[in-house]
Amino acid sequence: MNVLGIVFANDGSLGDLTEKRTMASLPFGGRYRQVDFALTNLTCAGIRRVGIVTRHKYQSLMNHVGSGEEWGLEMEAGGLEYLTPYSSSQTSDYRGKLESLYAAMSFLEFGGNDEYVIMQDAAVMCNIDLSAVLDSHIKSGRDITVVTCSGIADGNRPLDLAIKLDKRGDVADVAVDYAAPSDYEASMDIFVLSKAWLMQQLQEHIARNLYHMDRDLVLGLWKKKEATINVYHFDGVAFFNDSVAEYFANNLALTQKEIRDDLFSRNHPVYTKVRDRVPTYYGENCQIENCSVADGCMLGGKAKNSVLFRQVTIYPGAQVENCVIMNDTVVGEGACLKNVILDKDVIVHPNAVLVGTPANPVVIKRGEVV
Amino acid sequence: MYFQKKRCIAMLLAGGQGSRLKVLTQNTAKPAVPFGGKYRIIDFPLSNCVNSGIDTVGILTQYQPLELNEYIGNGQPWGLNKSHCCAQVLPPYERHDKKSGWYKGTANAIYQNIAFIERYDPEYVVVLSGDHIYKMDYAEMVQFHEKNGAACTIAVRDVPLEEASRFGILNTNPDGSIYEFEEKPKNPKSTNASMGIYVFNWKVLREFLIADEEDPNSANDFGKNIIPNLLNAGHRLMAYTFNGYWKDVGTIDSLWEANMELLGKNPEFDIRGDENSKIYARNNALPSSYIDEKAETVNCFIAEGSEIYGIVRHSIISTGCVVGEGALVENSVVMPGVVIESGAIVRHAILGENSRICRGCVIGGAFGPTEKKKISVTGKDTLAEENTVILPGEIV
Repeated sequence: MNVLGIVFANDGSLGDLTEKRTMASLPFGGRYRQVDFALTNLTCAGIRRVGIVTRHKYQSLMNHVGSGEEWGLEMEAGGLEYLTPYSSSQTSDYRGKLESLYAAMSFLEFGGNDEYVIMQDAAVMCNIDLSAVLDSHIKSGRDITVVTCSGIADGNRPLDLAIKLDKRGDVADVAVDYAAPSDYEASMDIFVLSKAWLMQQLQEHIARNLYHMDRDLVLGLWKKKEATINVYHFDGVAFFNDSVAEYFANNLALTQKEIRDDLFSRNHPVYTKVRDRVPTYYGENCQIENCSVADGCMLGGKAKNSVLFRQVTIYPGAQVENCVIMNDTVVGEGACLKNVILDKDVIVHPNAVLVGTPANPVVIKRGEVV
Repeated sequence: MYFQKKRCIAMLLAGGQGSRLKVLTQNTAKPAVPFGGKYRIIDFPLSNCVNSGIDTVGILTQYQPLELNEYIGNGQPWGLNKSHCCAQVLPPYERHDKKSGWYKGTANAIYQNIAFIERYDPEYVVVLSGDHIYKMDYAEMVQFHEKNGAACTIAVRDVPLEEASRFGILNTNPDGSIYEFEEKPKNPKSTNASMGIYVFNWKVLREFLIADEEDPNSANDFGKNIIPNLLNAGHRLMAYTFNGYWKDVGTIDSLWEANMELLGKNPEFDIRGDENSKIYARNNALPSSYIDEKAETVNCFIAEGSEIYGIVRHSIISTGCVVGEGALVENSVVMPGVVIESGAIVRHAILGENSRICRGCVIGGAFGPTEKKKISVTGKDTLAEENTVILPGEIV
């Protein structure tokens, strides 16, 4: 089965954390970037041709993903392509997913053998068997398969795409940008469609100035009864990092075994760029409790309920609690941090004190000295 | 097919049995033995090559090569999988002229692969062994070799006089040129021990390998035959002094020691180093490690994918290990994938890959600083059932 993968890198919406990067290249979970999950899901399902749609601030994304070698995408046949605006002459900046896909029409056309397209957003992280999703799509005989999960809709949080099912499991309602009540399922922004059908729909939509995937393609066609929807319900852990507070909480959730075991299944490991750091060194007087610790750290002080990324240094006498500390950051002697997100390459001076709250963690920008 | 001419290539001798590592090399070649939490011994010479700008490495395998071959693969972790460079595994093979068969000695192993070397038409060939832990810039040694107009340069290090008789000893003139080589001398005249790292002018080496092969009495060994023959023929041989950390990890005790020497605030061997002396290893795509609130982790290295609920002191915990609640690991080397269940006690031990130490086991024990080391060892995939006792120094 020839399947084409599309990953949407997504513009950043997390303030300082995504000031200079896409959601796809936002570091997550100690040694990953958010895009690693989508790329791993696609390649583990045997997909060997993947396009990454991105429009702004993609330097860190390209630096991280490179030729896609870590995911086995560096081959000549198939492989990885970056789909950026202005890469072919007729395009301008994208207003929506449909426009970006239309601009990448030649990429869609090129792989003449691809029968299906699986799309995934880098902003939603999960460890999912996409070959099962594809099977479900084919069996259903419907036009679009949407992967959904429950437990996200709560009546307050606006969902990009919410779907309500009737008792038989058929779609009873579709809503866009809706603070759906809890009996709605949230779309995980994973879609399966046949390529021919998608290409035809792109032509039709763009010709009528319609560019929004959720609103125009899914909701619009469903309402007009021009498309049928198959819902694939996903039971595992799905992280939507829509806000800084959520990003913070989802990182800290990795100290829970059930969540780690689900997201990093031994049978389905998550691939990322290899950095060849040494193992982490735990010093004579360090005290590490309930922490997720990546490789290459030098730990001399205290850390509790925290996520430490690669090559973090915590000097003796420093205290870190409920913190997310990204690559190469240094916490000086006697510093005291609580509910803080330190981006990459931050230097925290000795005896500095930073205190945030779980709902409103302090965020220190990349490269800052505090 | 065309091959780019190379000024210098490396040949890595990785075929030795490593019998003194006992159960640890029962089913695997010594260079594939895990070291330092996430590495294998061969990562050190291979990374040294890459860091020295040598991008073509022939790896001579013979003994139990399955894991080693799999580990080296296409050379990708070391960046040796591009069109202009390679990490080529060279096993013994059958030849048309009946000169084939197992590699008879170190020199014979290179002799059988003359064709591989000739493809690159190199000026210099660096010959390395796959059983030492060290970081070294071979480019400096090649430069030294070239500057001194030598036919062969041998890396040496100063060893204590009382240990000198365990090594090949090189006696040198004041200018560093070698006038005599003695293999494990009873009464050593100097303390310049050979590190088993050679730079040869390929043309000279080629000629001597062919001559050596024709000598039915030769052991086909670099130390025993090639080096003495070069000296006798009047070639200029130089000793290149290396002062950095270097450890032969050919025995249980030295393997344990070398691992322990990574630890401490100012370790004997600082494995971290800078970007130019990074050690590369094949990656296992494991997530971060998890340290539980009940855990105690003191003066230890813990590699990715491990979960620690118990006490770890002065030890190396490799990738993907579990130390259960209330378990104690002290002064030990825990190789990849080991599970130590709750309440087990492991001291002064090396636990082979994927060993499972069940509840209540007691492995190893203490010995005094002046006493002979008693390291307990479990082989790969050992299952120590509940309440098993493995005595200090016992090997299972």
